[in-house]
Amino acid sequence: MSTSGKVIKCKAAVAWEPKKPFSIEEVEVAPPKAHEVRIKILATGICRSDDHVMSGALTVPFPIILGHEAAGVVESVGEGVTCVKPGDKVIPLFIPQCGECSSCVNSKGNLCSKNDLGAARGLMEDGTTRFTCKGKPIHHFIGTSTFTEYTVVHETAVAKIDAVAPLEKVCLIGCGFSTGYGAALNTAKVERGSTCAVFGLGGVGLSVVMGCKAAGASRIIGVDINKDKFTKAKELGATECVNPQDFTKPIEDILMDLTGGEGVDYSFEVIGRTDTMTAALASCHKNYGMSVIVGVPPTASQISYNPMLLFTGRTWKGSIFGGWKSKDSVPKLVADYMGKKFNLDALITHTLPFDKINEGFELLRAGKSIRSVLLF
Amino acid sequence: MAPVSIVNVTVLQKPVSIPGLMCPFISIQIVATGICGTDDHVLKGSFPNMDYPVIPGHEGAGIVESIGEGVTCVKPGDKVIPLCLPQCGECSSCLNPDTNCCLKTHLYESQNLMPDKTSRFTCKGKQIHHFLWISTFSEYTVMPDSAIARIDDDAPLDKVCLFGCGFSTGYGAAINTAKVKPGSTCAIFGLGGVGLSVVIGCKAAGASRIIGIDINKDKFTKARDLGATECINPQDFKKPIQEVLVEMTGHGVDYSFEVIGRVDTMAAALASCHLSSGTCVMVGAPPLGSQISFDPMLLFTGRTWKGSFIGGWKTKDSIPKLVSGYMEKKFNPDVLITHTLPFDKINEGFELLHSGKR
Repeated sequence: MSTSGKVIKCKAAVAWEPKKPFSIEEVEVAPPKAHEVRIKILATGICRSDDHVMSGALTVPFPIILGHEAAGVVESVGEGVTCVKPGDKVIPLFIPQCGECSSCVNSKGNLCSKNDLGAARGLMEDGTTRFTCKGKPIHHFIGTSTFTEYTVVHETAVAKIDAVAPLEKVCLIGCGFSTGYGAALNTAKVERGSTCAVFGLGGVGLSVVMGCKAAGASRIIGVDINKDKFTKAKELGATECVNPQDFTKPIEDILMDLTGGEGVDYSFEVIGRTDTMTAALASCHKNYGMSVIVGVPPTASQISYNPMLLFTGRTWKGSIFGGWKSKDSVPKLVADYMGKKFNLDALITHTLPFDKINEGFELLRAGKSIRSVLLF
Repeated sequence: MAPVSIVNVTVLQKPVSIPGLMCPFISIQIVATGICGTDDHVLKGSFPNMDYPVIPGHEGAGIVESIGEGVTCVKPGDKVIPLCLPQCGECSSCLNPDTNCCLKTHLYESQNLMPDKTSRFTCKGKQIHHFLWISTFSEYTVMPDSAIARIDDDAPLDKVCLFGCGFSTGYGAAINTAKVKPGSTCAIFGLGGVGLSVVIGCKAAGASRIIGIDINKDKFTKARDLGATECINPQDFKKPIQEVLVEMTGHGVDYSFEVIGRVDTMAAALASCHLSSGTCVMVGAPPLGSQISFDPMLLFTGRTWKGSFIGGWKTKDSIPKLVSGYMEKKFNPDVLITHTLPFDKINEGFELLHSGKR
């Protein structure tokens, strides 16, 4: 029986308010309007950014359906959609790619103006939502919302991928893997033989490690206060790992000592804390070092730092979704995965049924998981 | 802040005497020296790690008077520019092709004395410190060979002294650090000597729009003569200057430059460039002990923020080439020189700087 054109009643994890567990509810998902696509989500990863919303560090409108790292199959399309058709395997894109705005047109830019990261309206382009629950409208999350059996996204926010791609693996290309891997290859453009420091060894941090290794870095120093993360970091390419809590000196001084007083060529902050962002900057070479902010900063935060750190010649850059132009790159990354150019499987430590979403978040908060993938 | 004192100093040119410390010295006669904002920081006490008394001045040009043992790069009679940023050729920065901040520079290791930890200047029996090893506010000065560059024999020293700092710093910030592309948009905060040199650099790189920003509108005419397509005064607007620039350009400029040295304009310059593909260059030296505060989201969305020191030039290699470029009329910073004064009027020169008239 076709669901096309009809409202779908399905299961979703609704966040009614911050700092509370998700509620598995029955929600209604409206059919896609013009230029929209309705997707049946089959696999969705748990990312720390979803958790930042729940903890209050990232501000969004509630109630909301979170989740932004997923893979699924197109159920139906709205009028005018030509890029995908029902049955296509797809990955939703939390950074869209309209192809027309100043970021899309610039070869260096990738933050399409259609993104909902800054304003966090939580609505589709026409100002309405496609989700209701118990009679209430539920907000979208950064144009995706994947903690639900069915979601609706704009056609600029979906990429068609290889029909034989294993969705329970490639969902990570929707965020975590691409963000980290791209930060090393696109944003930093790590050079062969260089030295790197990666602050934060979660899913994205480990993807940065993989990117640095693929680029031929000679030293990749992993930095984390949870030493349980060190084994996997070393398996994926870290040459050494340090725990700032083992030292009384600041971590930037430790990294300077480890590199003969020079500092690293590239440092990456993959946590999302203003103190480690400054420490990462100070850890790279005074004159030719580059530091990349990958971790999402808390809403309305401020970094305070000594501008001399930059004046001597350092470069400080931000990186969102690894600098990839999303719609162009995601299918290629999936094809590269299928061609065994990289292996992100090691990032997946837990696979859980969707109903266990709260357990998945507990594992993340306890530092016991890297990526948990929820399956429908 | 005290005015400089014109005094008689004794300048010594010692032979190398410390075993293992091979550091050839050169004594030069300074013919012309510019007054730069950084010298003013020294007088105000806001330049880091200074020792007083000191002979400041770092933007000069002169003639080699004599050389010490082991000097091969210049000989007596050569026209030279002292280098406020040395190029030792041996440290990790000098060996890296993409960078220029030699580790012998004052930012890493004090240059208040010669490398053998002695001074070549005495006055009234007191030791006087060097400034960045070169101290160009003196008829004669001494520096190690890593801090000197030989230039064209027919270069007019009263003009090319600006290549010792101001012009090279600004022009290089645009060409080397930002790598401004043809057709792009630029915003330059601060239209002093260095800011105008950034304008010249952006124009040479083919920028389509060069927006000059200064609270002193007397600076606008010269900025436009040198290539600024429009100039704005933040004091003419109620909203923050970054919002004005984003509105003027639709989405922020491709390249912004802070050429003042204030933490508030540094943060404003960052916010003025395109959120996903913009580059902001810090050219103005930050005040000693300052802190900048900014929202990291400004960087997270994809902006690049870079420091630029002496325009990113490897000085000993590049300054002679810049002087040759000037001799071939590839660019003309002559217009940056508004006043030429006898050396004894140095304090008047600083007054003109403070009053915004130069």
